[in-house]
Amino acid sequence: MKTLYVLLSLATISTSVALAAPEMPAGDTPDPYRDLVIKTEGGLEVTTTDGEFSLELGGRILADAAIYDEDKNALGNGSELRDLRLDLEGRLYADFIYEFSVDFADGEADVKDAWFAYDAVYPWKFSVGHFKEPFSLEELTSKRYLTFMERALPNELAPGRSIGIGAHWSGQRVTFAAGFFGDDYNDDADDEGDEGWGISSRLTFAPWAEERSALHLGVAAGFRRLDDEEEVRFDTRPESHITDIRYLDTGKLEQSRSIALLGLEGAWVTGPFSLQGEWMQAKVERDTGTEPTFDGWYLQASWFLTGESRRYKQDAAKFGRIRPLSEHGALEAAARFSSLDLNDGEIEGGSSDNLTLGLNWYINRQIRLMANAIFVDNDRFADADGDVEAEDEPTIIQLRAQVDF
Amino acid sequence: MFAPGKTTLLLVLSLFWLMPAWVVASSSDPHTLVIGKISHNPKKHYRYLKPMLIYAVDKMRDLGIRRGKIRMVKSKEQLADLVARGEVDWVTETPIAAAYLHEMSGAEILLRKWKKGMPEYHTVFFSRTDGPVKRLEDLKGKIIALEDPASTTAYYLPLNAILQKGMMPVRLKSFREKPPPDKVGFVFVREEINIATLVHKGLVEAGAFSNLDWSKDDHLPSQYRREFSIIQRLPSVIRAVELVRRDLDPAVRERLEEILLKAEDDPKAAAVLNAYQKTRRFDKLSRDQKQSIYDMYAIMEFVDQSL
Repeated sequence: MKTLYVLLSLATISTSVALAAPEMPAGDTPDPYRDLVIKTEGGLEVTTTDGEFSLELGGRILADAAIYDEDKNALGNGSELRDLRLDLEGRLYADFIYEFSVDFADGEADVKDAWFAYDAVYPWKFSVGHFKEPFSLEELTSKRYLTFMERALPNELAPGRSIGIGAHWSGQRVTFAAGFFGDDYNDDADDEGDEGWGISSRLTFAPWAEERSALHLGVAAGFRRLDDEEEVRFDTRPESHITDIRYLDTGKLEQSRSIALLGLEGAWVTGPFSLQGEWMQAKVERDTGTEPTFDGWYLQASWFLTGESRRYKQDAAKFGRIRPLSEHGALEAAARFSSLDLNDGEIEGGSSDNLTLGLNWYINRQIRLMANAIFVDNDRFADADGDVEAEDEPTIIQLRAQVDF
Repeated sequence: MFAPGKTTLLLVLSLFWLMPAWVVASSSDPHTLVIGKISHNPKKHYRYLKPMLIYAVDKMRDLGIRRGKIRMVKSKEQLADLVARGEVDWVTETPIAAAYLHEMSGAEILLRKWKKGMPEYHTVFFSRTDGPVKRLEDLKGKIIALEDPASTTAYYLPLNAILQKGMMPVRLKSFREKPPPDKVGFVFVREEINIATLVHKGLVEAGAFSNLDWSKDDHLPSQYRREFSIIQRLPSVIRAVELVRRDLDPAVRERLEEILLKAEDDPKAAAVLNAYQKTRRFDKLSRDQKQSIYDMYAIMEFVDQSL
């Protein structure tokens, strides 16, 4: 059974918006010059000349391959389509925007963004649907624009997408986002118990955010009441998706009531050089009276050998697309250290450090090739909840060819 | 730890229910302020214009203005027609378009817009330092890359300068065509980075765009800039202006002027100005400054008729 509250909220908002929409001003004056502007750079974009209606069809293909220099456990060299996504976004009646994207990478339809928002009360935006909870700079930045092939280890603690309602506000230097959420759309809802719910919020401050120069600071907090099964599990692969081995695994933590999340973010861009780092923590409240707490952090540096600069989008407080400066494309070298500790008291989920060296060649705005070398260092509890040998220290070489349109 | 009961939760949800309902209902009044712009990228410009429109309309409620509307069109002719018919009240444009709108529709300059933070800009002609073009006169029989036929600093002003030197420009469909030896060939390449790239590769001998583009890495990568020389700078012109239609209600016109002038001191407007093409502020122009913009219509006409 779905949570009564979330259903109620979705239903009431949808109804109010749907009833109000016909009253919107668009189209009530005949416009002799109304026409369509069609662009095909990237995906297919069609916009009415007045900008009140638009539709953009895009997608992405991320083809990966990984070779594991194994230490103690077999990780399984291989290849995969990491993302195989179709994306539709647009604007309706001037004031409503929407996005709907589906990923087919694992052979079945996996709904990603599926939301619409009311966009007429600048600088507010009110959203409803399935979208990312406001937590973590790296999580909120699209995978298309991330410096490394996979997000850092601590991303396991970030909530990701859920069904809910949210509000986003952006000022000249500050942004604030908050939301109230049910579960992820893709979660199994077979059981008859109530769904879990959560609230998340994120506050960011950019003392400066110019082209080629920005400083970003952020703090985020979240609370999640778990569903009636009262179980939570944190588990994650090394920073490589092709292997199925999740060294870090707390196993099912039963009798868990809720999770409290806290995150700190920072990023600094100066010309071709940038630094980015985050720390996050998840505290689980259990019926047993214990509060196992897990945390992790990463720090990364990137340098464009060809002079480009990472593009910070102040209004969304996240990073955007790289635009190569020459016809030969852009070359970026990067390094990241990340650490996640899923050990606390009697919980022995393991701890791991990953050092990644990366090289990216942005052939043009839409196509890039990536190469990552990852040096993994696992502790004596990092044994996939008893399934593999601990203290494994493999080295991973992985490659990606990416197009997004 | 936060754990709301059912009542609290329903109250929170009611707030979310009420918010959009209130906002939508309040925008259904027919008194509308319309902002217009020439645009070939309406999706992008819509996002630029909307915050400012909402901000202005919100401060005009006592004048009966209840909602705003954006009208973007593909050409200056279409925009002039809408202004003349009273269907567009307020326009944000560059000087050449402003001169045309004034001439054809009677639109009047209200204020200067410090678009991208700049009060003025000017055209720079540039070429490869090791290339054959060292001054404008060397362009005869050569090709210059320009942006598009609506641009002030990367079309009208440079072509006017070429004409003033007694040289005749001729439009080429491609940079692969060869211009007549006694004329200056020009090609439109849409984006500043394309101008820079063609000059750098030696496919055209020169380019022209604004001094702001010259110092912007996205438009002219520093590695290109090191190999280029500026061969001529033209006099500065006003960066951008806000215009209103001549018969706009004087109270609305006055209020719009007041809102825009005060925006730089209003903390709530900071993000709005930033969205509005990174405008730093608005200020008043003298009668002579306005006239200098209106006089650019003659440049436009001269260039158009010469081709």
